[in-house]
Amino acid sequence: MKLPAIPKLGPTVWGIAAFLVVGAVAAPWIPIYPLTILIGLLVFAALAYSMNFITGLTGYVSFGQVVFMGTGAYAWGYVVGTFRWHPIGGVLVGAAVGALLALGLGAVTLRFRGVYFAIATLVMPLAAVDIILVTPALGGGQGIILNLGFEPLSWFYTIWVILAIEIGLTYWVTHGRIGYGLRAIKGDEDAAKTLGIDAARLKLFVFCFSGLFTGAAGAVNAWTLSGVFPNDAFALLFSLQMLAMVVIGGMGTLLGPLLGAVVVYIPHTYFLTVVVGAEFIVIGILIAIIALVIPEGIVGALRRHIPALRRILE
Amino acid sequence: MAEPSAVVAQLIFGIVRGILLGCVFALIAHGLNLIWGIAKVVNVAHGEFIMLGAYGAYFLNLFLGLNPLVSAPIDAALGLAVGLGFYFGFLHRELRGKEAITLQSEMVTLVATFGLSLFIANAANVLFSGNFVGIPWNAGSVELGILQIPLGGIYVAILSVAIIALTQIFLNRTYLGIGIRAYSQDIPATQLMGINPTVVAAIGTGLGFGVTMAGGAFLTVLFPTGIYPYMGALYAPISFVIVVLGGPGKMWGSLVGGITLGIIIDVGQIFLGPSIAYAVAFLTLIPVLLFRPEGILR
Repeated sequence: MKLPAIPKLGPTVWGIAAFLVVGAVAAPWIPIYPLTILIGLLVFAALAYSMNFITGLTGYVSFGQVVFMGTGAYAWGYVVGTFRWHPIGGVLVGAAVGALLALGLGAVTLRFRGVYFAIATLVMPLAAVDIILVTPALGGGQGIILNLGFEPLSWFYTIWVILAIEIGLTYWVTHGRIGYGLRAIKGDEDAAKTLGIDAARLKLFVFCFSGLFTGAAGAVNAWTLSGVFPNDAFALLFSLQMLAMVVIGGMGTLLGPLLGAVVVYIPHTYFLTVVVGAEFIVIGILIAIIALVIPEGIVGALRRHIPALRRILE
Repeated sequence: MAEPSAVVAQLIFGIVRGILLGCVFALIAHGLNLIWGIAKVVNVAHGEFIMLGAYGAYFLNLFLGLNPLVSAPIDAALGLAVGLGFYFGFLHRELRGKEAITLQSEMVTLVATFGLSLFIANAANVLFSGNFVGIPWNAGSVELGILQIPLGGIYVAILSVAIIALTQIFLNRTYLGIGIRAYSQDIPATQLMGINPTVVAAIGTGLGFGVTMAGGAFLTVLFPTGIYPYMGALYAPISFVIVVLGGPGKMWGSLVGGITLGIIIDVGQIFLGPSIAYAVAFLTLIPVLLFRPEGILR
């Protein structure tokens, strides 16, 4: 069977690129409050794309993504606080630590299929926070408090670069041999193996990407807070939000995570001033309906029901 | 560490408390295990139904003055109704007409129940307010040598084991129970035997929810001020670990896994502090999954 050709750099890529470029050019003129919202949105989008690498592309539901975010944040806080590194250097360290941790955890947990992987990753952040709380070198229960000052433009361009690289990598991974391999694994892992796909290696490969960008985003998030606090850095809620963004937007798609980030993050900032957590009453129901009725998310559903959009959305 | 006899006394105290705690943990995990083992649905919202059970006991105490032991059967009846509603409102669409529950279906219900869990926990946070509440009920305690053991803990532990035994008798000795077990093994064969798969799956799910919510009521006895809307985020992972330890679908496995975890947590708390105790309890999952994925029971 001849597989349909994938168009080179479709409208979705140009659309996302335009969004990023306009943001980057306009950033110095955006007032502070909208800019901080935009920074938060980009952090969430980076988290969503990193979740997309593992859950979207392979179908392995990971409840433990926040463990990379937390370790990335702690690595950042440690080198910035103890060695007085520049925060951007700290972000690089956070990304590296996230990727290494993903390599180690993935080598063990990616052996488990389906539900077992979800449960094995679920306990990781819970155990991590318990260990951090009694580690004096990392500040114990108090965390690491730094006074770095308010520099929204540095935050913005750092997370912008991370997100741009991440989306580029997502495009590269999905539009090639690796992408076909991953789709085969998502469809039926045993069948994929009989076709000669090295499933274990491919899964570990995307899981490392996932850890890398989650770690980087976690470090930037800690930078915006000017500190790392154990119960916030490893809050399971972040994992849940990441999963929510990918499920709502569309698993494994290029536009989906960005769309999901908008749907999840904007109500989140609005409800922070009303009742904390109230947005999840709506988001929770939305996830349940999407999972049961349109498991391919907003982007997938649009592609399926409106043929004209199939060439445009990916 | 103090002199050896004090250490031994602490160890014994930890083990005894751990067994009491473990029996109740076993009960809440048993609820998850029933749903997992029978309907092949991994209910991520499990913790939220434990929370609803605990709040059920709290409100019955607040308005009617009932103690948690009396509230538990009311909770269980409520749980049965909620479970039937959950099955028909939520799972039926995905599971009906399937001859076997595939990995794909499992992931769909996993994500769907995850959405449900966000909804219930946050709705509870808005409705009940985020404060910790508790039930002022103290049944006294017994002294065994130098040990002082709360009577309430003993009652709920015994009742938990009794409930697990009762569900076991139901599943092994009654026609309906055998039908439910048959469904969990082979759906087409069950249909050929004249059993309606939807009915047995729904009843099995309802049974699981009843057990879960009764377990939530019992927890309020062990943790007198531990009722709050997000308590599910702690007890759901504990239940998952217990079910994996004991082996999914193995009903006595819940009891073995629960008591193991209870002892790890309580003895660990005395010698390593509460943080490390919970970390160890959670991480026991990984070697078990690696080396004995079928659980510690054969």
